[in-house]
Amino acid sequence: MIIVNYCVSIILICLGLYAVTMKKDLIKVVIGLGIIDYGVNLFIVSVGFNDGGTAPIFTISELLNGAASSYFVDPVPQALTLTSIVIGACVDAMALSLVVMINRKYHSINADDVRRIRG
Amino acid sequence: MFDYHHFPVIAVMILFLGAFLVEIFGSKNKTVRNTIALVIAAVSAACIYALIKPVFFDGEVISYWMGNWEPVSGYAIGIGYEVDALNLFFALLTVTTFLLSGIYSVRYMEKDEHLGHYYTLYLMLSGGVLGLVLTGDIFNMFVMIEIMTFAAVALTAFRNRSFGALEGAFKYLVLGSVGSSMTLAGVALLYMSCHTLNMAQLSSILGSQPLNPTTVFAFALMFAGLAVKAFIVPFHTPAADAYMVAPTSVSMMFSGMVNKAGVYGMIRLCFTIFHAMDQSSLQILLAAFGCVTMFVGVTMALAQHDFKRLLAFHSISQIGYVITAVALGTAVGLSGGLFHAMNHTLFKGLLFLTAGAVLKATGTTNLDKLGGLSKKMPKTTICFLIGAFSISGLPPFNGFASKWMVYQAVYAKAVTTGNFFYAVVTIVAVVVSVMTLASFIKVTQACFFGQCPENLKDTKEVPLSMRIPMWILSVLCLVTGIFYNFVYEKLLYPAMVAALNTVKYIDSMMGAGYAGAAGVANHLVDAPRFSVWDPISWLLLFVICLVAVCLVIVLGDRERGKVSDPETKPADGKYATFFSGEHELHSHVAGSDLFWGFKKDFKGYFNVVQGAHDGNVNTYASWVVIATAVIAIFMVIFVK
Amino acid sequence: MRFKSGIQERSIVVKCGADSFLPFAVTFGVYIILFGTVSPGGGFQGGVMVASAALLLYLGYGFKNATKVINPEVLRVNEACGATLYVILGLLGIFLGANFCRNVFFNDGQVGDLISAGTITFMGYSVGYKVLTGVGFLLLLMLGLLAPDDDGEEEEEVDLE
Repeated sequence: MIIVNYCVSIILICLGLYAVTMKKDLIKVVIGLGIIDYGVNLFIVSVGFNDGGTAPIFTISELLNGAASSYFVDPVPQALTLTSIVIGACVDAMALSLVVMINRKYHSINADDVRRIRG
Repeated sequence: MFDYHHFPVIAVMILFLGAFLVEIFGSKNKTVRNTIALVIAAVSAACIYALIKPVFFDGEVISYWMGNWEPVSGYAIGIGYEVDALNLFFALLTVTTFLLSGIYSVRYMEKDEHLGHYYTLYLMLSGGVLGLVLTGDIFNMFVMIEIMTFAAVALTAFRNRSFGALEGAFKYLVLGSVGSSMTLAGVALLYMSCHTLNMAQLSSILGSQPLNPTTVFAFALMFAGLAVKAFIVPFHTPAADAYMVAPTSVSMMFSGMVNKAGVYGMIRLCFTIFHAMDQSSLQILLAAFGCVTMFVGVTMALAQHDFKRLLAFHSISQIGYVITAVALGTAVGLSGGLFHAMNHTLFKGLLFLTAGAVLKATGTTNLDKLGGLSKKMPKTTICFLIGAFSISGLPPFNGFASKWMVYQAVYAKAVTTGNFFYAVVTIVAVVVSVMTLASFIKVTQACFFGQCPENLKDTKEVPLSMRIPMWILSVLCLVTGIFYNFVYEKLLYPAMVAALNTVKYIDSMMGAGYAGAAGVANHLVDAPRFSVWDPISWLLLFVICLVAVCLVIVLGDRERGKVSDPETKPADGKYATFFSGEHELHSHVAGSDLFWGFKKDFKGYFNVVQGAHDGNVNTYASWVVIATAVIAIFMVIFVK
Repeated sequence: MRFKSGIQERSIVVKCGADSFLPFAVTFGVYIILFGTVSPGGGFQGGVMVASAALLLYLGYGFKNATKVINPEVLRVNEACGATLYVILGLLGIFLGANFCRNVFFNDGQVGDLISAGTITFMGYSVGYKVLTGVGFLLLLMLGLLAPDDDGEEEEEVDLE
């Protein structure tokens, strides 16, 4: 339980949600999306922490001596975070490409101008 | 070699393999690309259809561990796929939808460019949805949700020169990504308290002790995240835009597969993993959401002037029916909800395909510019009428059967609990059905009957390969409505029993006796058999009424076929005072404005609701955040 | 320094920096992919490092010259080949009698050797190849949007052998 990590991840998620809901510039909305993803990633990694544990790798000396019983942190959340980072990168790439094309078509990236479909 | 236990994984992975093969070979040769896409879709569909016999008829639950990583000392360490009757029910809907959409899109999309990318994305979307409904691991479900969202966003923006495509895709991406992040946060919280990611093991851990605040908060976040995928109000805003701007074969997939996947996720979450459906607070929450969804969906649809956007709002409203029925937590409710989900896929797919046919033949979906197409495209008109009768709930089509079950379920719940809220829900359900019928009368008059505009005088019927999926869906609509008892006994009853029978789900994945040792019991409720109405006599009544109406029309007014020209000059200026300034004897109301009086009377309500859909991505995101906060606060206080 | 369509002409310092860092990035990235089962890293991490070669080429030499060396069309097809290889290796488990993604060959080596983890080693390599080509293609696509009429050097023909 690392309190600092959890607090910072909640702050990051709230900042990201603020950027998505309050900022008019579409690039800032995309940055907000990214910040939400980073906050969630930090949260997932912190979930797997075991106090006093080492990295989740078996070293050669341990395995050759047969004493594979070191205490390490949980490797499952690290795998989840890896997948989530990849997904976050892809979301950012796709969103930014859409913003570039919206700029070409609408000649503006203000959320108040990009609203031809409404009602 | 191909024992049927491998079929779920083969069905999913072969779709992804097909997507990559189309990417390699597809950009050069059109025939190669179409062949690969359709053959792979057919193989995947065949794998799923071959599973009907073991799972539905013999009642077996297929559990499959990837890489043969069996559970070690009671802990699940691998990714598992589990197929019981509920999964296979939704997988059948998915497979039928994407197969028919593939056949339809061969001729529908032939004039577009970059079709190699289209077929790749189509196969990825199908693979993502199929993986979502077949998996037994909660993080695998999240990954499939993301694959589905990416493919859906890219397909929405596919015709990027058409009106509003890019902005619809952008809003879908932003809101879908916020939803997925909430789901991931929920998964992380769930892992923190249960240390496992397998759905069967989670079900046994969460079923044996009361929920602590961490798991309740995880429940709220995952509930909100899956509600974003199922497009329930107030998470519905990307759906309205995306269904309108996507190519129609893709809109059919959205309304047929993608929101059913969200509904499946919510059923799994509430019934199997959290065992929370027998608490009245959760039932009231979910029924309230369903009720608001039904009502907002249909009232927004009454005010639309675009054919596909109207169908999108109706889609949202019908999912409200499904959620309301599932929310009741009774056997009748659950089977009514599942039946309506199946029927919604069939008739809404049919309606979207006819909208696509109209768009391809005339080039527009604006109801103000269409009219009189029944003479030019008679076969499409018949298919559209079958779809419209189904969605309005006219016997003997399938919409009547499922809506009848939903009304019965809600009424029974209102009687047994005596809660006034369920009486309100019943009234809303019936009123929404009436308004659905009104809205489809408007669309039929505006688009197919009435006066044909000058520029549409030479529209032709669409090609045969586009009509075949429409005919298949029409026949299915009629058959499931008439042989409704057969559908109930063979498909719905096993699916409903499987959703409520968590002991069997846990035992077949983790080993026999696991659920008993953890103290999880079944919530099995004895389900009554239905035989309250006789479909054959309703069919005869319908045919007699149809013949009578046709006779009256044919023998009626001889001047029926004459069209009136709105540009006739007045006879003489001196008569203007007697007509109080009007130029003609009649005033022309366009078909799409058929309920202008209704809209004028309820102007306050329509202004508020239509004004709230203002197209701004910040507004829509703030609805999502506020709704998630409301759900979280409600659940932390009331759900135990 | 001349300014052409908003982007400065490439200066000699940036070109030398790109020249020095590129082999190191590529080698280190390939090392991380290859030793994925033995030390931290693996397919995705190593793939992204190798794909930074595209970015370094763009920074040093401009978009036209970067696309002369790395053809985006070839990258796109190779990405799909890497992905196909991954799925086929996974389905190999089904063909040889076990479940999907089962280790079915090369799975009896010494711990700590390079090829000792079975099929998963090769699946890791194919993931690395896919990410390498995929992220490289993505970078070139987005950089191509930036300055569509940026010529880089119009008189100097750069030889990158």
